[in-house]
This record gives sequence, C-alpha cells and structure tokens, in this order.
Amino acid sequence: MIQQFALLIWGIEMSEFITAVLISLSSGAIYALMSIALVLVWRSTRVINFAQAGQAVLTTYIGYDIVQKTGSYWIALAGAVISGAIIGAVIDRFFMRPIFKRVNSGPIVMIAPVAATLGLLGIIQALIGFKWGLTNQSIEAPVSTNGIKVLGSVIAFSKFNLLVLVFVSIAVLLLTLLFQRTNIGLALRASAYSPEIARLSGIKVDTVRTLGWAIAGASGGLAGMLYIPGAFLYPNAMDLLLVFGFIAAVIGGLESLFGAVAGAMVLAFAINFATTYISPKLFFPTAFIVLVLVLLVRPAGLFAAKMSRRA
Amino acid sequence: MLKLTPSKKRLILFIIFGWILLILSNQVGDLKLYQGSFIATYALAITSIILLTGYSGQLSLGQSALMAVGAYAGALAIFNLGLHPVIGLFVAALVAGVFGLLLGLIVARLSGPYLAGTTLALAVSLPTLANQFPILGAEEGVPFDVGSAPARFGEDFSQYKWQFWIASLAALIMVWFIANLLTSRYGRTYKALRDNPVAAELSGINVGQVKVGAFAISSGVAGLSGALLAVLISGVSPSAFPLSLSFALLGGAVVTGVYSLKGVILGGLVLVAIPEIADSLVLRIGGSEGFTTSLPGFLVSALLILAVVFAPNGPGSLIKREHHKK
Amino acid sequence: MIRNKSMRRATLVSAIVATGAMLLSTLPAQAATPGVTAKEIKLGISSPLTGSAGLSYGKVPGAMKAYFNYINANGGVYGRKITLVSRDDKYLPVRAATETTNLILKDNVFALVGALGTATHAKAYKAAALAAKNVPDLFVNTGFSGFTNQVKYPTTFMVLPTYAMEAKVIAKAIKDNFPGQPSLLIAQDDEFGTDGVAGFTAAGHKFSAPNVLYPQGYFSTPGRDAAVITSLKGLLALAPGSKPVIVLFGTTDVTAALLKAATDAGVEKSFTWYAGSVGADANTLLALGVKSTTIDGVVSASFMPDAKDLTDPYVKQFVDINTKYNKGITFDNYVLAAMNSAMLTVQALRAAGKDLTRKGVMTAIETKGAKFASAGLVPLGYSATSRIGYNGYWVSQLNAKGEGKPFGGKLVIYTTDSGAGAVEVSTFVRPTMPKNGIPTNS
Repeated sequence: MIQQFALLIWGIEMSEFITAVLISLSSGAIYALMSIALVLVWRSTRVINFAQAGQAVLTTYIGYDIVQKTGSYWIALAGAVISGAIIGAVIDRFFMRPIFKRVNSGPIVMIAPVAATLGLLGIIQALIGFKWGLTNQSIEAPVSTNGIKVLGSVIAFSKFNLLVLVFVSIAVLLLTLLFQRTNIGLALRASAYSPEIARLSGIKVDTVRTLGWAIAGASGGLAGMLYIPGAFLYPNAMDLLLVFGFIAAVIGGLESLFGAVAGAMVLAFAINFATTYISPKLFFPTAFIVLVLVLLVRPAGLFAAKMSRRA
Repeated sequence: MLKLTPSKKRLILFIIFGWILLILSNQVGDLKLYQGSFIATYALAITSIILLTGYSGQLSLGQSALMAVGAYAGALAIFNLGLHPVIGLFVAALVAGVFGLLLGLIVARLSGPYLAGTTLALAVSLPTLANQFPILGAEEGVPFDVGSAPARFGEDFSQYKWQFWIASLAALIMVWFIANLLTSRYGRTYKALRDNPVAAELSGINVGQVKVGAFAISSGVAGLSGALLAVLISGVSPSAFPLSLSFALLGGAVVTGVYSLKGVILGGLVLVAIPEIADSLVLRIGGSEGFTTSLPGFLVSALLILAVVFAPNGPGSLIKREHHKK
Repeated sequence: MIRNKSMRRATLVSAIVATGAMLLSTLPAQAATPGVTAKEIKLGISSPLTGSAGLSYGKVPGAMKAYFNYINANGGVYGRKITLVSRDDKYLPVRAATETTNLILKDNVFALVGALGTATHAKAYKAAALAAKNVPDLFVNTGFSGFTNQVKYPTTFMVLPTYAMEAKVIAKAIKDNFPGQPSLLIAQDDEFGTDGVAGFTAAGHKFSAPNVLYPQGYFSTPGRDAAVITSLKGLLALAPGSKPVIVLFGTTDVTAALLKAATDAGVEKSFTWYAGSVGADANTLLALGVKSTTIDGVVSASFMPDAKDLTDPYVKQFVDINTKYNKGITFDNYVLAAMNSAMLTVQALRAAGKDLTRKGVMTAIETKGAKFASAGLVPLGYSATSRIGYNGYWVSQLNAKGEGKPFGGKLVIYTTDSGAGAVEVSTFVRPTMPKNGIPTNS
C-alpha cells in the first residue's frame, strides 16, 4: 500500500506543475515588493535599508489595528500603504540624513549605514513588542484563501493569491509610469544616477531622496498587508521577506525596477520548484545557493544593463 | 637583561589576568560564575568581529551562523564520535575556520552591503538546516557535554566553576593569539586593506587572499565561541544562534570600539549586563511580557545607533577627545 | 608600544571593571534551604508566555498564581505564603535552559513546578544542574516518559500521563471505534512525537502509510500545511469510500494549521481527526481560526473533566477561584490543569511538614502522593519507585461549541503503562475534593 501511495503522488504531476507556477508568481510578487523597496532606497541613498523589514511589519501592525477597529481589510490596506510612505519619509529625513551628515569620515563610514539601519530595525521591532506584545496575531484575508476549482479539481492557488498578483502588477505598472513618464520620476532617476549634476539642474536632491524612501516605505506596507494574511503577524514576521527581497534585488542587479521584479520571479520560481519537486527541505538552501551563484557568476546582477556601477 | 618586548608584556598581562580570574572563581557564587562564563564567551565572539570588521574591513552579519557551525561540529565530535571535550573545542574552531575559508572565497569579492546582505542570508538560513538533518537533532539539538570537573577537585566543585574555567581559559588563549596577530605584520596588512584597498593592492598585497584569510581566522574564533556558548546551555540547537545574536555581537563590538581589541571584555560585559539592566528596569517600572522580552533588544539597538553616531571609534576616542579639549 | 595613553587606559578600565564586578558580588553563605523562609515559599516556573506556544500555555503561570493566592488568603501552607516566579522561555530549549538557571541562581527558588515542554525541560534540567543541586522538579507539564527515569532526572515528578500511554489508548480507541479504516500519524519529530510512536508500536497498531514526522517550527513556513493535506488526499484516493483516521500528535498551533488547511482544501469531513491531548484545546483552536464546523466531531482524549462541565465540583471550585483571583482570564482546560497542579503542589508542601526541606517534599510525594486529591479522573501513580502521575485517559469528542464530551456518550476510563502492558478499563473513583478546594492534608 505504501508504494501505491508514492506512485499516486507522482501521478498528480500536471496540476502540481500548474500550481507550482502559480504559487511562484504569487510569492514572487511579494518578494518583488520588498525588492523594489530595497532597490529604490539603494539607488537614491546607496544604503541597503535593513530596517525595511521593521517598517513593513510596523505598517502591517497599523493595518491590524485598523482591521480591529473598522473590520475592513481594504481600509487597512490603504492605511498601511499611506503610513508606510510617511514612516519611510520620516526615517530618511530625521534619522538617515542626520547620521550621514555626522558620520562622514574614517572607516566607520562603511559600517555606519548598516549599523544604523540594523539598529533601527531592532528598535522598531522592540517598540512593536512594547505596544502590541509578542503573541502571534493574524489578519484575515479579504477574499477566500481556499484553492480555486479549475476543471474539476482544486488547485492550491486561491482568490487571495490572485489578488496579490493583481495588486503587485498594478503597483509595478504605476511605479513604472511614475519613473518613466513624469517629471518627478525623472528627478528621482536623475538624483539616483548623479546627485551632483541633478543638484546643478535645480533638482532638490534631498527632497527627492526622501520621496524615494516614502515610495519604498509604501511598497513595504503593501507587501506586509499582502503577505501576512497567509502567515502570522509578530515583530519578526517580515525578516525572512527582507532576506528574500535582498536576494531578489541582488539577482536583479540593484539598479532597476525591472531587475527587482525579474529577480524576485527568478528567486520565487527557483525556490518553489525546488521545494515541490526535490524536497521541501530545500526552502532556505535554494535561496542561499541562488544568491551565491549570482554573486559568483554575474555579481552585477542577471538583469543589469551596465556592469559598471558597483558599491 | 630580560628585554620586555610588547608581546612579552602582553603575555605576562594575560597570565596575570588569568590568575586573577582563577582566584576570583573561588570567591564568587554560582551566579557570577555563570555570568562570567557568558562574558568570556561573548568577548571571544566580539574578538572575531574586531578582526573581521574592525581590522580587515569586512562587515559580516553571519557570526551567529559561524558560531552555530562551530558549536554543532564540536557537539557532534563529542557526542557522536566520542572525542574528548577539549578536542571537541578544537574541532569546533577548526571546522568553523574551514567553513569560513570556503565562505570567504565566495564573498571576498563583495563589499559593503552586498557582503552584509549575503551574510545576513546565511545567518537566517543556516540554523534552519538543523531541522533538515536528523543527526543535528532539530530543536532538541545535540548535547555539548564537557563533563564535570575531575574527581580530584572534590565533589563540591560546582558545574558552573568548571564551565567558567573552560570558557575563560579558551577565551584568554584565543584572544591572546589574536592580539598577537593584530599587532603583527598581518594586523598592519589588514588595516591597510581596510583603509585603502586600492593602495594596498598597488603595494603588492594580495587583497583577495588576505581577506579570505581574515575570514577564515575570524570564523574559527567565532566557532570556538559558539562551542563555548553550547557548553553553557548544555547543548546546541538552532534557536541558540538567531540573527539577533549577530546584531547583538555587532552592537557590542561597535559600542566598545570595533577597531581595537581593548574593549572586548567590556563588550561581553555589556551584552551580559543589558538583560540584567532590563530585568531590573522592568521590576521598577513594571510592564507587560512584550515589554520585558523586547527591552534588551531595544537597549542593544539604541546603544548601537548611539555608538555609531557619537563614538564610532569606541569609547577610547571619547576619552581622547576629552583630553584634547583640555 | 605605539599605543597612546588613552588606549591603554581603556584596557585597564575594562579589565578592572570586569574583575571588580565579580569581586564586589561575592555572595554570603547560602541560607539553609533556598527559597524557604518563615513567611514565604518561593517556587519557580519556566514556560512559554509569548510566541506560538504562548497562545495556548501562556495562561498556566497566572492560573497557578491565582490558586496559590487563594491558599495564601486562607492561611497559606503552615503560615507561609507561596510566591511563584514565572519566566518566559518561548518554548525554546535554549531559553528554557537560561531561564531555569536564572530561577535557581538568581531567584533562589525552593522548587520548580509545572516546567513545560519536552525538549525545553530536558535541556533546562541539565543546564541548571537540578540534579546536582537537588532541586525538586514538581509536576512537569510534559508527557515524555523519559522524565520518569530517576537516574537521569532524580528530582522530577510527572503529572501528565505519558505520550506513550496516550498513544496506546488512542490505538485502542481507533481499534474499537473505527475498525478497518486506514490511519496515519502526523507527529512532532522529537522525543514528544517519538514517545507517541513507541506507544503505538507497543500497542501493536499499524498505520497505513509512513508516519509524517515534522521538526518543530516546520509549519511556520507558509504552504507546508497545504502540502501535507495534498498528500492526505492521496491516502483518500488509495482507499475509496473510507474515512481515514488522522492522528495529529503535535501542538495546538500545528493542529490548527492542518485543520485550517484541510478546510481550505475542502476535505475536512473526509477524515476522522484524532487530536492528541497536547494539541486539542478547542478554545485555542477556535481562536486560531479553525471553523467550528471543522472542530465538530474531532476525537481526542483527556484525563480531566472538561473545563466547561460545571457539574463537576472541582471544576466549579476552580472557576470560582479563577473569577476572584484571575480576573479577566477565561477559564479553559489550561487553567483547569494549571490549578489542578497547583492544588497537588500545595498538598505536597503540606505533606512535607512544617520543617520544609527539598528532600522532605520529594519523599512526601513518594509516600503520600498517590492519595492526593485532584480533579483528575484517573489514578496517580506516585510511589518510592515511580514518578508517574496520571496513568490513563478517557476518549472524548468535541462538538461545534468546543466542548469535549465522552465519545459514544459513556465515560470509559482506560489505564495503562508506558510499556507493553495492556490497556485496561478502570473503576477508579477519585478522592473527594477537600472543602472549598483548600487541602488540609499533612
């Protein structure tokens, strides 16, 4: 009987493949949001914002509070995104900028940004513990998380997964439009590429940079509200997402929005297929191996146009 | 006449300090011995950070993972292979060092945030491996038994005093070794590398090799400290080496001066003292469980930020500035 | 050396500070019996207050404190008030080790009560040198039968029936009530789970497919519970028309995750779910989002009366105490079990006499413990050679409200051992509750 059991599992191949693809798209979408957030900050500030995990989970807690008060997921979603933007802007203006002004010489320059964002991450997570406690909370998804019935059988892809895909696609589209078609977007890109020249052309580089942080914060806020309904909410809930967002960003080259999204998809597909077809135990090792491979073979990222810009 | 070179002076200083610890260990109670063992262990872990980050300029968040590697290696050596506990400690350092060597080969080309992020990924993913391989015992872990004190010390010889002796001795020896390393030619090479890699390369230093070497040695030290930590908690399990440990160690290193070995003991003290301070704060002002558990992390993070902003070169520089002001 | 003065000063300062800290804290000689004064008995507990396990077990220390406060208000134990020091270990063995050590070294407790978790306590026992210090380790909140080993754990007294015992009773229940159905075991992959596996083997029960053993924390990664349910569907396909019995031998968060995943996949009624007692608290399952329609019909086992059964005198008394001394906390099976252990603790302290020593309390349980009054519906097995507490179970079934009623409508108590002994129906009648729930034994 045991052998038949194994054979039968093997026989459910096709729907498993489709499921794997869909789940990859869906989790890739969430990684993409974090990846975008990290890339945005990197481009404007040359800092990997480790605190993003804290910001995102904080906005999700705010979303949780809104759900408790209003019962509406959608209001909470809007709230999380908006508060994400505000928090991101505040952090840049009142935390990162003063630190950079103060710490500008000596070997500490290399350590300072990392230490600062790590310290901020710790503080945010501690503050969450103070206010909300450490017990796992949960946020209910606004639509069903049951598998959808396709052609008679239920696949492990739900309406909520679909929602995630839709939202992230919209977000990426909006951001692309912003960056490519608007003056603000032009200013953002110019300040990131060459702050001195941008300043000379009259662009308020500092303000633009804060705007970049705000958008990144909003992206993180969205990521949190899309991720948590499938998991538990606790202060460290998004740490993993930060790591995956970072890996996705590195794969994509840290330079472009497209790279961020593409990198996220590559990572998601690699992980999901490895865990579905080889072993569920490979969840973390796959991510790490992909990261290492990219760093060894094409350190500028798989999708970077130019190999020039490095640290 | 006996010429007292700096290195001889250092050796004598360490030996004297060792004797002081020995005498003290017979005077104090179990609680202080227990805490003292943690101070020694953390001081050793911070030493590895000083070497890697302060001297060779590679900012790694993966110390907790390397400590885990050392701890598991040592534990398995003792538990599965039946080796003597002291050999287990050696194995811990050695295996972690080799692992660090391999890791260094991969990440040596990386700089700044790439290195930080990659080591972060390592720190997050490595402990989960313990759940994948049954031999590693999952959350239950593998016991790390250094046994009890030899019979000739008497029946009343406390387990904590024995662990304190082992931890302090291992830490003293290793820190002395690293101190020598850092004041030698290698130390100067590391600093040259950190301050100006281009110039270093031009003057003939093989940057890649030196970086990898620093990574390997630092990992060995971290591995040993991981093994010592496992001794104190009587076994190794993945939750003993969370990412927050890497943060805390980095914080301790930066706060007490990441560019010099002088502050490592203070750093270990800070890391042990913070939960105590948090405990007494909570007793005084009360608070929910969330507050109590999150407070130490808050203090460490706040300390880290303050240190980076106000005393990036360690408290020594603060004292120096005071002097100059006069 | 090229070092400047201030650097050297810093070295000196660090060294002095470190050694000074140690020197200044030389302790005076220890009191004769730690944790006991004329006015107070200090007890300690290390358990999860936060984290995923904190959701279920977070109430335990508070409930015990409530009962102790009730006793304190009624004269205490020979005039001494009981203080319970509670430390949070988040169900992590490492934290349990350090917090238990803190309880002994810093808080100087007389004894530990209700230590929680198999892996957590096994590690803590060793790290805190409980054997060497002869610290009584009373009524541990775990069913791992290894804790009855007096060589390894000389000061430990269990209270819960062992997991092996529970597995044997489950095996009998499946055989009696679901004959011919396929069955599968999903268990936590550590001593807790393997103890259960041993029990099933001892009972001669054969599962229809290999056991699914998962490491602790496995299901915190999203998607894994759905994957398990997918493979369960495979089991269905193998034996069409059957209703396989799935034994969930894990903690409540895992039971909840799997039941939710099954509901999401639409197959929750295709199986008979047998939730092991550790993971079967209905209130917690409901709080974690399991639908009441899914809970309806889940089979479980218990050795206590149901916390909602107000006709039981013990339950009623504990509910009263909870209302007065544990305000704001809903009474449930965890509170019931905690107060029950607290009641046993008070009887143990009393039986040890006015001259309270660590050795004394342990001897007291050995000689008199089997006769202690408690809410348990099965007998206590303490003796000079046995550290087993309760040694049996009755089979229950949950309804949509989350109440556990006797399966099949009739209460049948099974007792057994952790080894190859048979599972027998018992005629045990528990001792009457002392008046007002205040023990007066000696």
